[in-house]
Amino acid sequence: MKSLSKRKSRLPLVALLLIFAATLTAKAQGARIQLSNLDHLAARASETVDVNIDERLVQIAWRALSSNDVDEAKVKKIVSGLKGIYVKSFEFENPGEFTPADVELVRSQLRGPAWSRLVNVTSKKDGSVEVYMMLVGDQISGLAVLSVEDKELTVVNIIGPVDLEKLSKLEGQFGVPELGIESKPKTKN
Amino acid sequence: MAAALALSLVFAFVPRVHANTDDFGSVVKMIEQFYHVKHQGIPLLARAGMKTATTIARIKGGTAKRIAEAGSIKLAIFEDQEFNSTGRFGKFRSAVNAALDETWMPFVQTLSAKDEVQTYIFLRNAGEKFDVLVITIERREATVVQVTLSPKNLALLMQDPNGMGRAVTEDATTTDPE
Repeated sequence: MKSLSKRKSRLPLVALLLIFAATLTAKAQGARIQLSNLDHLAARASETVDVNIDERLVQIAWRALSSNDVDEAKVKKIVSGLKGIYVKSFEFENPGEFTPADVELVRSQLRGPAWSRLVNVTSKKDGSVEVYMMLVGDQISGLAVLSVEDKELTVVNIIGPVDLEKLSKLEGQFGVPELGIESKPKTKN
Repeated sequence: MAAALALSLVFAFVPRVHANTDDFGSVVKMIEQFYHVKHQGIPLLARAGMKTATTIARIKGGTAKRIAEAGSIKLAIFEDQEFNSTGRFGKFRSAVNAALDETWMPFVQTLSAKDEVQTYIFLRNAGEKFDVLVITIERREATVVQVTLSPKNLALLMQDPNGMGRAVTEDATTTDPE
């Protein structure tokens, strides 16, 4: 009887712990932007690529790659701590097949207070490349790249602690396209 | 009230039970119905010919070694038949996703409207290993391949998601030269 009442008294604590765990998970996923609202473009695009590497898959890669193999160790270091890599890319035959409103579907999500656009970033690619970073406290919790060309629209969303250096190392791997991103040297005021 | 909340939260975090359905068969059947085509199953060729090892070797720059788990390969080939996908990509994509249960994670989906080539790669936990399902639809042919890979080999292939489907399918449909 006593143990039953003890167990009963622990239930609210268990519930609180579970709520706390759920909140942590939600925070980690906070940097995930909604890309499915671009799916309608696939009907007009000549090439579409959609890559989804969630936390489970990142963990598989991290656990499976060897720290003793030089190449694998490099990749292991890059994916360490990441919680997801999501890429959506569309190529079109002609300019004007996607509209500013389509781009706005992504950009509007990056106007939240947690997101900051990095202004000291350029790209070797044509068109515009915007890089956004989500900070929680002083920790980077995610990054988004919006690359817009006349006939191409690419969105890359990486969840977890990722800076520009890590992003450049991810280019060409795990579905992240070559973005040609470079940091502009900081100018002194 | 707290107990009910705790219970509902516990259930929300319990992993879903692996559905024991033949998703490979469901996908093949769905393709047959969607495009009005018929597949040719080639189990012996598949068992003898899986060479995903060469793909891994290419990535690693080393010598070839087999990686696909013996007997794990399922292969269905559709040859010289009409796969008219014009204006139906979205519908087909929805049908593929609907044919698979939620244990399959969509990994890569690529679509080339000009060449009418669609590739879908799904992954699923298989104990300590992973099932990989690759569906490739072209204008006149299609393949559905399911293999089981070790986490290590999956991790190596995962580095090139766009090439993964092509590599697995090519290797599964090629016999060893030895």
